[in-house]
Amino acid sequence: MSEATNIGINSEVNTKVEPLNTIGRETARVDAIERVTGEAKYSRDVKLPGMLYARTLRSPHPHARIRSIDISAAQRLSGVRAVITHENAEVVWGAGSVNGGRQYNDPTKDETRHPRYIFNNPVRCVGDSVAAVAATDRNIAEQALSLIKVDYEELPFVLEAEAALEEGAPLVWPDGNLCPDFSNNLEPMAVNVGDVEAGFEQADQVFEQRYETGFIHNAQMEPRCALAHWEGDKLTLYSPTQGISNCRHDTARDLGLEDHQVRIICNYMGGGFGNKNQNQDADLVAATLSRRANAPVMLEYSRKEDWLGVHGRWPTAQYYKVGVKNDGSLTAMQMRGYSGMGPYRKNSGGISGMDAYACANWQRTIYPAYTNRTTSGNFRAPSEPHGFYGVESMMDDIAYKLGIDPVQFTLKNMRRPTEDRPYTNYSLDECIATGAEQFDWVSRRKVTPGSDEGPIKRGAGFSFMMFRAGVGTSSAIVRVDANQQYTLFVGVTDIGPGAKTTMGMIAAEELGVPLSQVEVVAGDTDRCPYSVGESGSRTTIMTGYAVVEAARELKQQIADDGMPSGSEVLIASATPRPTTDGKVRQCFGAHFVEVEVDTRSGSTKVLKYTTVHESGRIINPQTAKDQIRGATIQGIGQALHEDLLYDPASGQPLTTGYYRARHLTHLDIPDIEVTFIEVDDGYGPFGAKTAGEAGIILAPAAVANAVSNAIGKRMTSLPISRDKVLGALA
Amino acid sequence: MAKKKFDQSRRDFLEGAGVTVVAGTAASALASSAVSAEESSHQVPSTFIQLTVNGNPQLVEVEDRWTLVELLRDKFNLTGTKIGCNRSECGACTVIMNGKPVYSCSQLAVWAEGAEITTVEGLANNGQLSPLQQAFVDNNGPQCGFCTPGQLMTATALLETNSSPDADEIKQAMVGNLCRCSNYNAIVEAVLLAGNNPTDNQEGVA
Repeated sequence: MSEATNIGINSEVNTKVEPLNTIGRETARVDAIERVTGEAKYSRDVKLPGMLYARTLRSPHPHARIRSIDISAAQRLSGVRAVITHENAEVVWGAGSVNGGRQYNDPTKDETRHPRYIFNNPVRCVGDSVAAVAATDRNIAEQALSLIKVDYEELPFVLEAEAALEEGAPLVWPDGNLCPDFSNNLEPMAVNVGDVEAGFEQADQVFEQRYETGFIHNAQMEPRCALAHWEGDKLTLYSPTQGISNCRHDTARDLGLEDHQVRIICNYMGGGFGNKNQNQDADLVAATLSRRANAPVMLEYSRKEDWLGVHGRWPTAQYYKVGVKNDGSLTAMQMRGYSGMGPYRKNSGGISGMDAYACANWQRTIYPAYTNRTTSGNFRAPSEPHGFYGVESMMDDIAYKLGIDPVQFTLKNMRRPTEDRPYTNYSLDECIATGAEQFDWVSRRKVTPGSDEGPIKRGAGFSFMMFRAGVGTSSAIVRVDANQQYTLFVGVTDIGPGAKTTMGMIAAEELGVPLSQVEVVAGDTDRCPYSVGESGSRTTIMTGYAVVEAARELKQQIADDGMPSGSEVLIASATPRPTTDGKVRQCFGAHFVEVEVDTRSGSTKVLKYTTVHESGRIINPQTAKDQIRGATIQGIGQALHEDLLYDPASGQPLTTGYYRARHLTHLDIPDIEVTFIEVDDGYGPFGAKTAGEAGIILAPAAVANAVSNAIGKRMTSLPISRDKVLGALA
Repeated sequence: MAKKKFDQSRRDFLEGAGVTVVAGTAASALASSAVSAEESSHQVPSTFIQLTVNGNPQLVEVEDRWTLVELLRDKFNLTGTKIGCNRSECGACTVIMNGKPVYSCSQLAVWAEGAEITTVEGLANNGQLSPLQQAFVDNNGPQCGFCTPGQLMTATALLETNSSPDADEIKQAMVGNLCRCSNYNAIVEAVLLAGNNPTDNQEGVA
């Protein structure tokens, strides 16, 4: 490592770590038995007495004005208890459309230029909600939908972000298709550092290339649903959410309630990967129907509705221009990007990756644009996989054109700590070196891309990443009784990564007791304090840190007062506000992959996949490893298979489902080697950083680089489907 | 209005219940169906069937349009079986029917006449997890857990016919069970562990 990499490292804590009493030990999930016996109750498994079932009517048109809507026949159908439309249920879904896409900023939701209602007129994409029905059974609800008569005036539509910003394009919103920024201005998101024009003048060579990426549906196994139940003015929602606290607050705001009037329960949740953050329109629709019908209402989405009515990763077009010296040093980087947001700006539309390089002159301008496709939003590392694919493909291409090993090119140009920008620790060099050695990078990559003889060609690709692992505020409560049983109250939901187990392990470690002595109460806003939510790679770090502080406080109480006896209990809580002392805190990783491309069919097979991650101290090696493997496989799917295709003539979506989107199956899965470089940087709970999102960032770039290395043609469009490979070779 | 079970053909099923069950809500909502108000659910034909579920004999009246997963979840409250797609794409609803794994979303309940059905709730024996369930616990088989019941049922059926499958055989047998957490490696490792050759390593095949 160079000297610069040591800036910001505290040598006393920033050391390799050994397993502790509980943390660092392979630990089965605390709720594993419920998960393998069918006892785990997911939201759709809950039944309440007198419960009604609800269904949603959706637009068959990509863009249309509703001239009239007649619900009288549906209302007359025996068993129908409530029918709601834009005419009789005007509820704004605040988190559904936010200026600047900053989903957790409350004032912005009130000020947004383009409010999204639970039912909109005009409808702006196929699948936009038009009406909902609650009835005594599902069949009646579905029959009632067919009795609703909607008179549509079809409007011109636009599907692609770049086309949406052209002069004369059909308008998704009256004031234009460029999404407003955080300050409500119709401006792109721009970063401008140094002087790019001067940088290009200094360059020996300047390269330009356009890259594009597809819409990737989160496609979690559990389709969206919501069960709403009112008792007086108190609403209880059983909802699959990635953040019970945020879901409560957002639902309360949208319905004009106080937070304490809403209770969110989510004990088990069937995945989300970002599309179950906060509240969803399903929560508001179910609550509204339940209020009208005066009965509990279970609203269920079908798989196709989930595809069109929830969201996925935004499709992008990225235009890069990069200046380099002949020795491979960067002089200027420029990117103009377009993100297709669908008709509502649910999230940012960001395209990250350029700032992983150290370049004095760089400029990035991103135009998030409204289109008449389904809504785009957060998917596991929202801005990264497509952005890192674009910029790391660009750099890989330049490296080969200059005759430089892409790994050496990266080591020369990647961002490192500086005096102005210290890190809590920095381990990217080690990640790359370890991965390159394990993978045998030097012998696997083709120095001359496409040089294998014969129709089946092998190649190797590499990618790296750095990703946020900041600290922040959350809360936890710990209680101990006279039997020395500890109860931890945390407002987390285990969406898959194992948050309940992780929180229990952190508490057990800090309390100095076995995990079996700690019961974890989670997933219920009436029982648990605020937690940041299972999004943004925050739970382990932020709620985990609150658990440490609460446990510390309880230990102090025990030291001061002794263990409780009889019916006594001791309770401690904490809402810490940790900082990183002005240092950057990130996790790091490098992926290496070898592929085999059949140039006759265009198909790609992954032969070998090596991952190295530094995510601080690993709390539970068992679940952390599978976070990396699962995320990597999702990334391979993005690289090779997944996209939501639209028919340009009709505006109809074509690949709404697992089969059509060609999700990877058991048969597609390579062995994935996972190595963690473990470090305690002195921040976060026992030095833990983030893993769940970080793992998905690298596969699209690594796989695309490997395919390009195999066939000798740069793959500039994801997914790398067979037709694109054949097209590149033609 | 009871009707004999075999009167219900696949074609009747598609025509009668297909709009609501097979194609799913969005499809029915998007199509302008011509069902009239008079054809309300009151006249839905139903049939008495006998079947065995997790070892318990059952006599039950089912609507002819019900799928097996609806019967299991709604009538028997066996909610461990999940509905992920309701159209034979994902495998979350897999149960064992007469020894074979089937998608219960794509079986009519009336077709289960005389059948022996095992769901995830029937795998443990007097509170003792099956070796496969225990392997899933020990090896992080579930992430979000929504596909887990289906994965367990397909793997259980496999192990009953092949007690020591290798990784390739496991992958072949389980290709119809999707996992969007993409916990595939851990699932295959758990099945290997539950089989008779737990030392078998997975091959790196894509």
